[in-house]
Amino acid sequence: MTSKIKNFPGTALSEDDFTQGTVLYNYDQLKGDFAWDTGAAIGSYLAALKKGTLLGAYCATCRKTVIPPRTVCEWCYRPMQHFVPLQDTGTVNTFSLCYVTWDVQRISDPEIPAVIEIDGASPLHGIMHMLGEVDPQAVHIGMRVQAVWKPVEERQGAITDIRYFKPISDQEEPK
Amino acid sequence: MSLLNRDPDSPAVWQGDLPVTSRYTFGVAGERFFRALKDEGRILGSYCPKCDFTYVPGRIFCERCLSELDEWLDAGTQGEVHTFTLLYAGYDGSLLEHPHIVAMIRIGDGGLVHLLEGIDPQDITIGMTVEAVFKPANERQGSIEDILHFKPV
Repeated sequence: MTSKIKNFPGTALSEDDFTQGTVLYNYDQLKGDFAWDTGAAIGSYLAALKKGTLLGAYCATCRKTVIPPRTVCEWCYRPMQHFVPLQDTGTVNTFSLCYVTWDVQRISDPEIPAVIEIDGASPLHGIMHMLGEVDPQAVHIGMRVQAVWKPVEERQGAITDIRYFKPISDQEEPK
Repeated sequence: MSLLNRDPDSPAVWQGDLPVTSRYTFGVAGERFFRALKDEGRILGSYCPKCDFTYVPGRIFCERCLSELDEWLDAGTQGEVHTFTLLYAGYDGSLLEHPHIVAMIRIGDGGLVHLLEGIDPQDITIGMTVEAVFKPANERQGSIEDILHFKPV
Protein backbone atom coordinates (compact mmCIF):
# COMPACT_ATOMS: atom_id res chain seq x y z
CA MET A 1 0.00 0.00 0.00
CA THR A 2 2.61 2.52 1.06
CA SER A 3 4.43 2.06 -2.25
CA LYS A 4 1.47 3.77 -3.97
CA ILE A 5 1.81 6.92 -1.86
CA LYS A 6 4.24 9.38 -3.37
CA ASN A 7 4.08 12.28 -0.96
CA PHE A 8 3.65 11.64 2.74
CA PRO A 9 2.58 14.53 4.95
CA GLY A 10 5.13 15.94 7.38
CA THR A 11 8.80 16.79 7.10
CA ALA A 12 10.91 14.24 5.28
CA LEU A 13 14.41 13.80 6.73
CA SER A 14 17.48 12.14 5.30
CA GLU A 15 20.69 10.93 6.95
CA ASP A 16 22.39 14.08 5.61
CA ASP A 17 20.05 16.25 7.70
CA PHE A 18 21.50 14.60 10.78
CA THR A 19 25.15 14.48 9.76
CA GLN A 20 25.23 18.01 8.36
CA GLY A 21 23.28 19.52 11.22
CA THR A 22 20.38 20.95 9.21
CA VAL A 23 18.02 19.45 11.77
CA LEU A 24 18.51 19.45 15.52
CA TYR A 25 17.90 16.22 17.40
CA ASN A 26 18.51 14.45 20.66
CA TYR A 27 20.52 11.24 20.49
CA ASP A 28 19.90 8.77 23.27
CA GLN A 29 21.04 5.31 24.19
CA LEU A 30 18.99 3.09 26.42
CA LYS A 31 20.98 1.62 29.29
CA GLY A 32 19.51 -1.86 29.09
CA ASP A 33 22.11 -4.04 30.81
CA PHE A 34 20.68 -7.31 32.03
CA ALA A 35 21.79 -10.61 33.51
CA TRP A 36 19.92 -13.85 33.97
CA ASP A 37 20.79 -16.93 35.99
CA THR A 38 21.74 -19.64 33.53
CA GLY A 39 20.30 -22.42 35.71
CA ALA A 40 21.34 -26.08 35.84
CA ALA A 41 20.31 -26.97 32.28
CA ILE A 42 21.33 -23.96 30.18
CA GLY A 43 24.39 -23.32 32.39
CA SER A 44 25.63 -26.83 31.64
CA TYR A 45 24.71 -26.39 27.94
CA LEU A 46 26.85 -23.23 27.74
CA ALA A 47 29.74 -24.91 29.60
CA ALA A 48 29.52 -27.83 27.15
CA LEU A 49 29.57 -25.47 24.15
CA LYS A 50 32.85 -24.07 25.44
CA LYS A 51 34.19 -27.62 25.46
CA GLY A 52 32.91 -28.18 21.91
CA THR A 53 29.94 -30.41 22.72
CA LEU A 54 26.23 -30.03 22.10
CA LEU A 55 24.44 -31.15 25.24
CA GLY A 56 20.92 -32.59 25.43
CA ALA A 57 18.79 -33.96 28.24
CA TYR A 58 17.02 -37.34 28.40
CA CYS A 59 13.66 -38.24 29.90
CA ALA A 60 13.52 -41.99 30.64
CA THR A 61 9.74 -41.94 30.98
CA CYS A 62 9.10 -40.42 27.56
CA ARG A 63 12.33 -41.74 26.02
CA LYS A 64 12.91 -38.29 24.63
CA THR A 65 16.17 -36.44 24.15
CA VAL A 66 15.83 -32.70 23.84
CA ILE A 67 18.27 -29.93 23.00
CA PRO A 68 18.88 -27.46 24.55
CA PRO A 69 18.60 -29.45 27.79
CA ARG A 70 15.80 -28.73 30.26
CA THR A 71 15.53 -29.78 33.90
CA VAL A 72 11.88 -30.82 33.54
CA CYS A 73 10.34 -32.88 30.75
CA GLU A 74 7.82 -30.87 28.74
CA TRP A 75 5.61 -33.91 28.15
CA CYS A 76 5.40 -35.67 31.54
CA TYR A 77 6.64 -32.87 33.83
CA ARG A 78 9.01 -35.27 35.57
CA PRO A 79 12.62 -34.27 36.25
CA MET A 80 14.97 -35.10 33.39
CA GLN A 81 17.12 -38.17 34.10
CA HIS A 82 20.50 -37.16 32.75
CA PHE A 83 22.48 -35.08 30.33
CA VAL A 84 23.41 -36.58 26.96
CA PRO A 85 26.25 -35.34 24.78
CA LEU A 86 25.00 -35.21 21.18
CA GLN A 87 26.64 -35.09 17.75
CA ASP A 88 27.52 -31.74 16.19
CA THR A 89 25.86 -32.87 12.97
CA GLY A 90 22.24 -32.59 12.00
CA THR A 91 19.57 -32.09 9.37
CA VAL A 92 18.00 -28.84 8.20
CA ASN A 93 14.38 -28.80 9.37
CA THR A 94 13.53 -25.36 8.05
CA PHE A 95 15.43 -22.28 6.96
CA SER A 96 15.11 -18.75 5.69
CA LEU A 97 17.11 -16.56 3.32
CA CYS A 98 17.27 -13.28 5.14
CA TYR A 99 18.26 -10.15 3.22
CA VAL A 100 17.97 -7.85 6.22
CA THR A 101 20.28 -7.91 9.24
CA TRP A 102 19.05 -7.78 12.84
CA ASP A 103 19.51 -4.01 12.85
CA VAL A 104 17.60 -3.59 9.60
CA GLN A 105 20.50 -3.14 7.17
CA ARG A 106 19.84 -4.44 3.66
CA ILE A 107 22.40 -7.03 2.51
CA SER A 108 22.91 -8.67 -0.87
CA ASP A 109 24.32 -11.97 0.43
CA PRO A 110 21.58 -13.39 2.63
CA GLU A 111 22.05 -14.65 6.14
CA ILE A 112 20.59 -18.15 6.43
CA PRO A 113 19.04 -18.88 9.81
CA ALA A 114 17.87 -22.48 10.07
CA VAL A 115 16.41 -24.93 12.55
CA ILE A 116 18.73 -27.92 12.64
CA GLU A 117 17.61 -31.26 14.02
CA ILE A 118 20.63 -32.47 15.96
CA ASP A 119 21.83 -36.06 15.56
CA GLY A 120 21.24 -37.96 18.78
CA ALA A 121 18.23 -35.87 19.79
CA SER A 122 14.71 -37.17 19.25
CA PRO A 123 13.24 -36.57 15.79
CA LEU A 124 12.19 -32.95 15.20
CA HIS A 125 14.35 -31.74 18.11
CA GLY A 126 17.00 -29.23 17.31
CA ILE A 127 18.35 -25.72 17.63
CA MET A 128 18.26 -22.56 15.60
CA HIS A 129 21.56 -21.43 14.11
CA MET A 130 23.09 -20.00 10.96
CA LEU A 131 24.17 -21.88 7.83
CA GLY A 132 27.44 -21.00 6.11
CA GLU A 133 29.83 -22.14 3.34
CA VAL A 134 26.80 -22.84 1.19
CA ASP A 135 25.11 -21.42 -1.90
CA PRO A 136 21.84 -19.95 -0.60
CA GLN A 137 19.99 -21.41 -3.58
CA ALA A 138 21.30 -24.90 -2.77
CA VAL A 139 19.95 -24.95 0.78
CA HIS A 140 17.09 -27.41 1.17
CA ILE A 141 15.08 -29.10 3.88
CA GLY A 142 16.72 -32.39 4.78
CA MET A 143 20.22 -31.10 3.98
CA ARG A 144 22.91 -32.67 6.18
CA VAL A 145 25.04 -30.13 8.06
CA GLN A 146 27.82 -29.98 10.64
CA ALA A 147 28.84 -27.35 13.18
CA VAL A 148 31.87 -25.18 12.42
CA TRP A 149 33.35 -24.35 15.82
CA LYS A 150 35.43 -21.39 16.85
CA PRO A 151 38.97 -22.27 17.99
CA VAL A 152 39.01 -23.37 21.66
CA GLU A 153 40.72 -20.18 22.84
CA GLU A 154 37.99 -18.00 21.32
CA ARG A 155 35.06 -19.86 22.83
CA GLN A 156 33.13 -18.07 25.52
CA GLY A 157 30.43 -20.53 26.53
CA ALA A 158 27.88 -19.12 24.11
CA ILE A 159 25.84 -20.42 21.20
CA THR A 160 28.11 -18.27 19.00
CA ASP A 161 30.97 -20.65 19.89
CA ILE A 162 29.58 -22.39 16.81
CA ARG A 163 30.20 -20.00 13.91
CA TYR A 164 27.62 -21.70 11.69
CA PHE A 165 26.63 -25.08 10.29
CA LYS A 166 28.03 -26.12 6.91
CA PRO A 167 26.83 -28.83 4.50
CA ILE A 168 28.48 -32.22 4.68
CA SER A 169 28.72 -34.78 1.88
CA ASP A 170 28.03 -38.49 2.15
CA GLN A 171 31.78 -39.20 2.45
CA GLU A 172 32.07 -36.84 5.41
CA GLU A 173 29.16 -38.43 7.25
CA PRO A 174 30.15 -39.55 10.75
CA LYS A 175 30.17 -43.32 11.04
CA MET B 1 14.19 -31.15 42.68
CA SER B 2 16.09 -31.83 39.51
CA LEU B 3 18.14 -34.91 38.79
CA LEU B 4 20.43 -32.81 36.65
CA ASN B 5 23.47 -31.31 38.30
CA ARG B 6 24.77 -28.04 37.07
CA ASP B 7 28.17 -28.33 35.41
CA PRO B 8 30.61 -26.67 37.85
CA ASP B 9 32.13 -24.88 34.85
CA SER B 10 28.79 -23.21 34.09
CA PRO B 11 28.71 -19.45 33.86
CA ALA B 12 26.60 -18.26 36.80
CA VAL B 13 24.82 -15.63 34.79
CA TRP B 14 24.36 -14.68 31.18
CA GLN B 15 25.02 -10.99 30.71
CA GLY B 16 23.87 -8.77 27.91
CA ASP B 17 22.56 -5.38 26.98
CA LEU B 18 19.90 -3.98 24.72
CA PRO B 19 21.49 -2.07 21.83
CA VAL B 20 18.69 0.48 21.54
CA THR B 21 19.53 3.97 20.35
CA SER B 22 17.22 6.76 19.34
CA ARG B 23 17.19 10.10 17.56
CA TYR B 24 14.44 12.41 18.64
CA THR B 25 13.78 15.35 16.35
CA PHE B 26 12.04 18.26 17.98
CA GLY B 27 9.40 18.98 15.35
CA VAL B 28 8.61 22.27 13.63
CA ALA B 29 8.17 24.33 16.81
CA GLY B 30 10.89 22.49 18.74
CA GLU B 31 13.36 23.04 15.92
CA ARG B 32 12.67 26.78 16.07
CA PHE B 33 12.91 26.83 19.88
CA PHE B 34 16.20 24.93 20.08
CA ARG B 35 17.70 26.73 17.06
CA ALA B 36 17.16 30.06 18.86
CA LEU B 37 18.54 28.57 22.08
CA LYS B 38 21.65 27.34 20.28
CA ASP B 39 22.37 30.21 17.89
CA GLU B 40 21.11 33.22 19.84
CA GLY B 41 20.86 32.12 23.47
CA ARG B 42 17.21 33.08 23.48
CA ILE B 43 14.16 31.33 24.92
CA LEU B 44 11.31 31.58 22.43
CA GLY B 45 7.62 31.43 23.12
CA SER B 46 4.57 31.67 20.91
CA TYR B 47 1.48 33.74 21.61
CA CYS B 48 -2.20 32.96 21.05
CA PRO B 49 -4.05 36.30 20.67
CA LYS B 50 -7.42 34.57 20.92
CA CYS B 51 -6.64 33.03 24.31
CA ASP B 52 -4.15 35.69 25.43
CA PHE B 53 -1.77 32.91 26.32
CA THR B 54 2.01 32.75 25.90
CA TYR B 55 3.42 29.26 25.38
CA VAL B 56 6.99 28.61 26.52
CA PRO B 57 8.53 26.68 24.83
CA GLY B 58 6.73 27.91 21.72
CA ARG B 59 4.14 25.65 20.08
CA ILE B 60 2.69 25.77 16.58
CA PHE B 61 -0.84 25.09 17.81
CA CYS B 62 -2.75 26.51 20.74
CA GLU B 63 -3.66 23.74 23.15
CA ARG B 64 -6.81 25.60 24.13
CA CYS B 65 -8.42 26.76 20.86
CA LEU B 66 -6.33 24.64 18.44
CA SER B 67 -5.61 27.65 16.21
CA GLU B 68 -2.26 27.81 14.49
CA LEU B 69 0.24 30.10 16.20
CA ASP B 70 2.55 32.26 14.11
CA GLU B 71 3.29 35.00 16.61
CA TRP B 72 6.68 34.09 18.07
CA LEU B 73 8.28 36.17 20.82
CA ASP B 74 11.43 36.37 22.89
CA ALA B 75 10.40 35.24 26.35
CA GLY B 76 13.57 36.59 27.94
CA THR B 77 15.97 34.54 30.04
CA GLN B 78 14.31 35.10 33.40
CA GLY B 79 11.46 33.31 35.10
CA GLU B 80 9.95 32.60 38.49
CA VAL B 81 10.32 29.47 40.59
CA HIS B 82 6.93 27.77 40.37
CA THR B 83 7.93 24.74 42.39
CA PHE B 84 11.10 22.80 43.14
CA THR B 85 12.41 19.56 44.57
CA LEU B 86 15.71 18.34 46.02
CA LEU B 87 17.27 15.25 44.52
CA TYR B 88 19.56 13.32 46.83
CA ALA B 89 20.30 10.54 44.33
CA GLY B 90 22.23 10.85 41.04
CA TYR B 91 21.30 9.26 37.71
CA ASP B 92 23.20 6.10 38.65
CA GLY B 93 21.38 5.85 41.97
CA SER B 94 24.38 6.92 44.05
CA LEU B 95 23.66 9.19 46.98
CA LEU B 96 24.60 12.84 46.67
CA GLU B 97 26.02 14.82 49.56
CA HIS B 98 24.69 18.05 48.09
CA PRO B 99 21.28 17.63 46.49
CA HIS B 100 20.51 18.69 42.93
CA ILE B 101 17.78 21.30 42.93
CA VAL B 102 15.28 20.73 40.13
CA ALA B 103 12.74 23.49 39.63
CA MET B 104 9.80 24.29 37.39
CA ILE B 105 10.58 27.79 36.23
CA ARG B 106 7.60 29.75 35.01
CA ILE B 107 8.24 31.82 31.89
CA GLY B 108 5.27 33.46 30.23
CA ASP B 109 2.34 31.10 30.78
CA GLY B 110 4.57 28.06 30.42
CA GLY B 111 8.06 27.37 31.59
CA LEU B 112 10.97 24.98 31.78
CA VAL B 113 11.99 22.27 34.20
CA HIS B 114 15.66 22.76 34.91
CA LEU B 115 18.41 22.77 37.51
CA LEU B 116 18.70 25.59 40.00
CA GLU B 117 22.17 26.42 41.26
CA GLY B 118 23.96 29.10 43.22
CA ILE B 119 21.51 29.10 46.10
CA ASP B 120 21.14 27.30 49.41
CA PRO B 121 17.99 25.09 49.30
CA GLN B 122 16.86 26.78 52.52
CA ASP B 123 16.78 30.15 50.79
CA ILE B 124 14.59 29.19 47.82
CA THR B 125 11.17 30.78 47.82
CA ILE B 126 8.29 30.08 45.45
CA GLY B 127 7.99 33.03 43.11
CA MET B 128 11.62 34.13 43.33
CA THR B 129 13.10 35.41 40.08
CA VAL B 130 15.83 33.27 38.48
CA GLU B 131 17.86 33.63 35.34
CA ALA B 132 19.17 31.12 32.77
CA VAL B 133 22.93 30.54 32.64
CA PHE B 134 23.92 29.49 29.10
CA LYS B 135 26.85 27.48 27.87
CA PRO B 136 29.32 29.49 25.76
CA ALA B 137 27.87 29.91 22.25
CA ASN B 138 30.46 27.64 20.60
CA GLU B 139 29.62 24.75 22.93
CA ARG B 140 25.88 24.85 22.43
CA GLN B 141 24.37 21.91 20.54
CA GLY B 142 20.68 22.67 20.33
CA SER B 143 19.66 20.87 23.50
CA ILE B 144 18.00 21.89 26.75
CA GLU B 145 21.45 21.36 28.25
CA ASP B 146 22.62 24.46 26.35
CA ILE B 147 21.21 26.08 29.47
CA LEU B 148 23.57 24.93 32.22
CA HIS B 149 21.20 25.86 35.02
CA PHE B 150 19.18 28.73 36.41
CA LYS B 151 20.52 31.00 39.15
CA PRO B 152 18.98 33.64 41.42
CA VAL B 153 19.01 37.15 39.99
